[in-house]
Amino acid sequence: MDSRSNIVWRILALMIGALFIYAGAIKALDPIGFANDIDNFKILPWFVGVRLAFYLPWLEILCGLALVTRRFYFGGLSILTTLTLIFVVVTIVAKARGLDITCGCFGHASKNLSFTWHLVLDFILLAALLVLWRREVLRIRAA
Amino acid sequence: MKLKQALLLVLLAFVPAIGQAIYFHDKVSWQTPVAASEMVTVTQARAWGDNATWIDARPDAEFAQDHVPGAILLNEDRWNELLPQFLVVWSPEKKIVVYCSTQGCNASREIAHRLRTEAQLQNVFVLEGGWEEWVKRRDEENAQ
Amino acid sequence: MKTQVLAFTLSILLCASARSELKWEQTQLELHPAVGDKVAVGHFKYKNTGTAPVKIKSVHSSCGCTTAQTQKDQVAPGESGEITATFNIGDRTGTQVKSVTVETDNPAQASTVLVLKAVIPQMLEVQPALVYWQGGEAPKSKTVSVTAGKDFPVKQIKVTPVSTDFQVKVSKVGDGEFKVEVQPRDTAHQMVATFAIQPDDSPKAVYLSARVINSPPPTTTAVKP
Repeated sequence: MDSRSNIVWRILALMIGALFIYAGAIKALDPIGFANDIDNFKILPWFVGVRLAFYLPWLEILCGLALVTRRFYFGGLSILTTLTLIFVVVTIVAKARGLDITCGCFGHASKNLSFTWHLVLDFILLAALLVLWRREVLRIRAA
Repeated sequence: MKLKQALLLVLLAFVPAIGQAIYFHDKVSWQTPVAASEMVTVTQARAWGDNATWIDARPDAEFAQDHVPGAILLNEDRWNELLPQFLVVWSPEKKIVVYCSTQGCNASREIAHRLRTEAQLQNVFVLEGGWEEWVKRRDEENAQ
Repeated sequence: MKTQVLAFTLSILLCASARSELKWEQTQLELHPAVGDKVAVGHFKYKNTGTAPVKIKSVHSSCGCTTAQTQKDQVAPGESGEITATFNIGDRTGTQVKSVTVETDNPAQASTVLVLKAVIPQMLEVQPALVYWQGGEAPKSKTVSVTAGKDFPVKQIKVTPVSTDFQVKVSKVGDGEFKVEVQPRDTAHQMVATFAIQPDDSPKAVYLSARVINSPPPTTTAVKP
């Protein structure tokens, strides 16, 4: 493996990890706001959504840390990839149902970002995660 | 087995999550979503213009002295008599703004509650700051 | 050392001797006014069990519907008195809780909150108080439930006046439970009627409003809740 491209992937993982730590922290600071955002998707009952609102941000932070520190790297990567995939699907479904949702992924700070841009950002994120994930799978198999 | 890593992270995340949930225990509605606030500011209510119907929840004497122009008197002293008088002019498209003397008075909330439960009306709001706040705004504008 | 002990003991004795205190018989009263009552009065009795007079600086209530008065402004040691709280019931319902705050010059009892709870008996409850139809809506009958209060055996209710615009049908569905069905003759134009509902032969009435509103239909927004 070319050590320069290794560095590129490492930096990518670092950036994504930091992004999730940031996103998780913002949501952890306002669990009630996040609970309302989850509720807006009208997929989960409030009873479930409000508990998820307290749990998810911390999962994001821990997995983001896993990416940054490379401890439990694969576990963290797998979870984040799954979460992002679910989120993208759920967002598309919500929009198709005509719901008026403010993403909530970057907290209420991202309220001003238009829906399309949000989706583009999420797709880029998902792509990056999938690439990293596949790379890791290959590395584990080769080892 | 890398699956163990993921499982560990999933379980570890419960620790801060539960800690935070305990901290927020009585600040969150765990069973049902909290209804949107019934309060509205003077600025917002005035911005509604003709789309708002103003209800004065204060005693007769205070209403007689001065009230929001066009406001309808509806207080708990004469609720039975005044409610039907209001209901015959009520319009479902308009938002209802109920006020009493100050921010602290309870009459406006009581009237708003009764309008929602007894008459089953929607879009009933309580004016933040009450009559006092409305007068303050009016005086500020007149001074300009 | 001895002087300090003396000073200390003296100060305690002095404080004790200058003690004033208003002892309240009750700071919370629950009243059960009868159905025709216009007011509910609570007598909050007190006695000055201290050795110094107490001055009642002010008495005020949490709402305009309750007036509170003190018999005396200065209460000498050993004297008794009362704060009279008069709650104007008006058309209020259910359990009403009002408070009266008494301020005295005694720093240990600077302000005392007296709570007046009044359980107001309700004769008849109409739910909902308004039935309406939008212009163009099918003129189907709508049902209003009329319930008698727990302590009131109501055998019959009377709905007046007879309206040409709305047809009214009254039926009894149980002990103290009634159904009033209202139907407009059509929903082509605006109509309004206010009905008085009276229990048995009592003159006391609760009201039901019926309307046909020819308002334009609400604009449908794209947002689905």
